[in-house]
Amino acid sequence: MIEIRDVSRVYRRGADEVHALEGVSLSIGAGRFVALMGPSGSGKSTLLNLLAGLDRPSGGDVVVAGQRLNDLSEDELAGFRARHIGFVFQFFNLIPVLDAQRNVELPLLLTHLGRDERRARALTALRVVGLAERASHKPGELSGGEQQRVAIARAIVSDPEIIVADEPTGDLDAKNAVEILGLLRDLAREFGKTVVMVTHDPRGEAFVDEIHHLDKGVLRDSVPGGARP
Amino acid sequence: MKFLPLIWSNLVRNKLRTALTSAAIALAVALVCLLLTMPGGLDRILNEIASNNRLVVLNKAGLVYPLPYSYLQKVRAMDGVVAAASWTWFGGVFREEKGVEFPNFAVEPDPIGVVWEDWGIAPEQLEAFRRYRDAAIVGRGTLDKQGWKIGDRIALKGTVYPVDLEFQIVGEIPDAQAPHLWFQREYLDQALRAAGRGGLETLGTIWVRVDDPDEVAPLLARIDAAFRNSEAETASETEKSYFANFFGALEGFVTVILIVTGLVALCIVFIAANTASMAVRERMGEIAVLKALGFSRRLVFATLFAEATLLSTLGGMLGAFAALGITAFLRQGVAGWSPALGPLGSFVVTNTILVQGLFLAFFVGMLSGVVPSFGAARRPVAETLREVF
Repeated sequence: MIEIRDVSRVYRRGADEVHALEGVSLSIGAGRFVALMGPSGSGKSTLLNLLAGLDRPSGGDVVVAGQRLNDLSEDELAGFRARHIGFVFQFFNLIPVLDAQRNVELPLLLTHLGRDERRARALTALRVVGLAERASHKPGELSGGEQQRVAIARAIVSDPEIIVADEPTGDLDAKNAVEILGLLRDLAREFGKTVVMVTHDPRGEAFVDEIHHLDKGVLRDSVPGGARP
Repeated sequence: MKFLPLIWSNLVRNKLRTALTSAAIALAVALVCLLLTMPGGLDRILNEIASNNRLVVLNKAGLVYPLPYSYLQKVRAMDGVVAAASWTWFGGVFREEKGVEFPNFAVEPDPIGVVWEDWGIAPEQLEAFRRYRDAAIVGRGTLDKQGWKIGDRIALKGTVYPVDLEFQIVGEIPDAQAPHLWFQREYLDQALRAAGRGGLETLGTIWVRVDDPDEVAPLLARIDAAFRNSEAETASETEKSYFANFFGALEGFVTVILIVTGLVALCIVFIAANTASMAVRERMGEIAVLKALGFSRRLVFATLFAEATLLSTLGGMLGAFAALGITAFLRQGVAGWSPALGPLGSFVVTNTILVQGLFLAFFVGMLSGVVPSFGAARRPVAETLREVF
């Protein structure tokens, strides 16, 4: 599903070059729940951005869902993300002026679905994360855990193959963090989604199928996670 | 259309800012619409008050310079003249502290009913004006303003001539806006002689009634030719062009106002652009999220641009229809309250002006939205996400 081959990413910061990633190669199969772990500045978010089509590598190849992302234009990458990727962010990043159902509906605005169908699918996605009854609530009226569930509903509503989650438990208490990790695991196990998660949270190790450790832009090791089949 | 709820939600998220910005745009558009009514309004006023069949003869040197009284007889004797009367500015004040509150002229009582036949002064009042030496005919506008009525006696203190005159009001000029006060020239002449100042040998303007439109141009030429190289050369014109010259000076003023209004509109563009920039800047994270979800740069630009344009257009609609309402209100209501405000009813926001106002608002929105929307759309999504979160 995801092939990262000898990928590097170099940023220019004034006169300096910052090597965020160097020679990273990684393969992630369909339906896997994968954690990218490492200290701050290790390059895990950069790697997540590359495989999600938010950024382009300076070198190497990024192939996702059979598509080589290096060659795509900005608009083509946007189209790719709309079709293949669902996003979950640390701070939920819901649109505060829209209720939960309209937030979840946002990715469907990029499809040809009619209004009623969009509304129905958004409600179904909210039902999957257990928040159908909170559909008309705005983000400010929801707890952190509920907001992250809405964000997950938004990530899955267009039925993408891949869910990328950047520190999804970083702003949650322990109980909600465990629930969200369980939810992401279920998406992989029961719905066949490929879930790639960047996390510092050691609790995540127990839920994932594999863990890739990065440090200073280099992939140090890959180990199995604690998830049981 | 499916993006409209998103656009609308963003538009009303900061209600106070949206209200203030749209109010600023509404005010500017209303101002522009009202100013655009001025040329048409002045034309309508001109058509109402002035006639092409009435001529005015002035001293070529300017309105403040008199003409010899003998000119009146010479003009009356010319072919094509139905009647002619003179106006001599008395400059009388009713209340000294207020100065001259209304124009008051010494006139010949006999011809005025013919020269200003279209003003509709009642025949019996014209007859009384002829009969009584101290009679005065007063415009309805001044009667209302001063609280006078026919039969009242009033006194005016002379400012141009060193005599004070007392009048009895015997008639009125029925036009609700008419400010004039007319009295007999002979009355002033006799008062001056009694005061040892000699008689009244000059006049201010001569008004000539002509019935045949084809006679107007030749008569104007004949009058000026008759007094060429005399002690006081004349400049004759139709009443309409006389007032048009008055308004001509106003048109220059209107042009200046329109230029200033254009600059105000430009300022509004900057205000609206600033609002759009603030709205974009504070939502940079949300915009990055939309782009991450798959919103293309074009779509992000379109939604932000539509938001700015919608805000401006709604403000513009408010302003244009407010201007329409104001002029309609003036036309129907205010004339009944105060005659002095009556001419305001001539200023009409036409459909064309309404459309011009709406287009102005639309373009203000487009101009103000294009730069911030373009900037937000172009910004790399990964960079923004990294900076904002």
